[in-house]
Amino acid sequence: MFGLIGHLTSLEHAQAVAKELGYPEYADQGLDFWCSAPPQIVDTIKVTSITGQIIEGRYVESCFLPEMLASRRIKAATRKVLNAMAHAQKHGINITALGGFSSIIFENFNLYQNRQVRNVRLEFERFTTGNTHTAYIICRQVEQASRKLGIELSKATVAVCGATGDIGSAICRWLDARTDVAELLLIARNQERLQHLQSELGRGKILSLDEALPQADIIVWVASMPKGMEIDPTTLKQPCLLIDGGYPKNLVTKVQYPGISVLNGGIVEHSLDIDWRIMSIVNMDVPARQLFACFAESMLLEFEKLHTNFSWGRNQITVEKMEQIGQVSVKHGFRPLLV
Amino acid sequence: MQQLAATTAELDFHSETYKDAYSRINAIVIEGEKEAHENYIRLAELLPEYKEELIRLSKMENRHKKGFEACGRNLQVTPDMQFAQEFFAQLHQNFQKAAESENVVTCLLIQSLIIECFAIAAYNIYIPVADDFARKITEGVVKDEYSHLNFGEVWLKEHFEESKAELEQANRQNLPIVWKMLNAVENDAHTLAMEKEALVEDFMIQYGEALSNIGFTTRDIMRMSAYGLTAA
Repeated sequence: MFGLIGHLTSLEHAQAVAKELGYPEYADQGLDFWCSAPPQIVDTIKVTSITGQIIEGRYVESCFLPEMLASRRIKAATRKVLNAMAHAQKHGINITALGGFSSIIFENFNLYQNRQVRNVRLEFERFTTGNTHTAYIICRQVEQASRKLGIELSKATVAVCGATGDIGSAICRWLDARTDVAELLLIARNQERLQHLQSELGRGKILSLDEALPQADIIVWVASMPKGMEIDPTTLKQPCLLIDGGYPKNLVTKVQYPGISVLNGGIVEHSLDIDWRIMSIVNMDVPARQLFACFAESMLLEFEKLHTNFSWGRNQITVEKMEQIGQVSVKHGFRPLLV
Repeated sequence: MQQLAATTAELDFHSETYKDAYSRINAIVIEGEKEAHENYIRLAELLPEYKEELIRLSKMENRHKKGFEACGRNLQVTPDMQFAQEFFAQLHQNFQKAAESENVVTCLLIQSLIIECFAIAAYNIYIPVADDFARKITEGVVKDEYSHLNFGEVWLKEHFEESKAELEQANRQNLPIVWKMLNAVENDAHTLAMEKEALVEDFMIQYGEALSNIGFTTRDIMRMSAYGLTAA
């Protein structure tokens, strides 16, 4: 059995969903309540591969909300993630993806040291960040969407915003090794990590966001911030492909400008309908078929009976692992979302 | 549980502020175990076929009580037992009333679900911020609690259908009292580096698990375990 740990995008969203699902006790509550709310399994999922194989999963709502990070309620945020993981493990789930902010919180607040959650000793091999599949899907989106828009990679400048993150660095490695991208622009806050990445790649220009964006034919946005991101579209090249792989995704609605194509990054489409109701709640355009690639990773690991933390830790995603997950992604009928 | 280790370093277990708060929290724990001890004896009278098991549980609770008394002595704190008795008065009264009317289901909800879950949640939150002596004692108690199947859960599961309505009623009657009790010790708990929102969350997790084991659905659990929380 596979699992997905998810959360809602804002307090307002959480209240609306609770109301829609018929939980008035949760619908009328403010942030304080959500800081105390326990994790719940709220959906049972059945996925059929194009090979015919069928697997079953569970959706664990962690009750985390991004406002907890914005208002520095860090302890509440970390409790949500650890409690949801313990809940998944207690319910015998073999491999669970940490969706949305869950893996970011786990990594940033170094929750490796908090292995004992009440009477549950967390077995980290049962969890995956799903970042390898997300990075792979974003790279395929770069390759395939650029072709559709008539942008030639061999002449293109690609800006990776959030380049030193787990997903960002993996994307840089892939673009360097598996494509003929003309120029890579590396953008991140931490200069030391940027220099480390640049020397690992042996290429790439380190630039500020303001310098980089106007030069880019393709912008890969993989930074995650509690409040999303603002980009001024008038400063961008035309045409420009903007892939929003950050969390939460808000660029599609915010950046609407002629010549700028915005694509939700790290989203896959499955070839067959998935039997669940949770994706309509997390605002996917085609809820029965579209989902986050990180979630799909736990499905792929379940299909392949690879019950292991395939994506774990920071900056350990190799091109080979991306290829490996990419092959099974295709095998089971997932494909990157395109423009 | 997840309260960061740094918190303990800032605590001065021998300061007057800490000891003052501890005199009430420690008393609550002692009183809680004492009432549990008595409640299981009373339950043994109501359920004579389970007498042996219930008496064994009552003895265990009594051992726990002695352990926590030692924690107070270790910090040279005199537990404020009067405060603790008042703290438990309403739940205590509801248990007595239910026992008089032989409402076993209500008695089990109060003792085996509410009080046990409240205790385990509090112990789990306390352990990372306890002094060394109290930590060892509390860890032993929690281990005890996890090692035996919850008698009430097992009995209520076996009698789920006929108990359901009374459980819902007893939940409505007693859960709001728990939230009030938590509010009453919020400041003292904070002095001991135990946060109310963590206590509430741990309680809801324990209580939700117990309700789930008995046979309630996720929907029932979400409704029942949050009952009266915001009104408190």
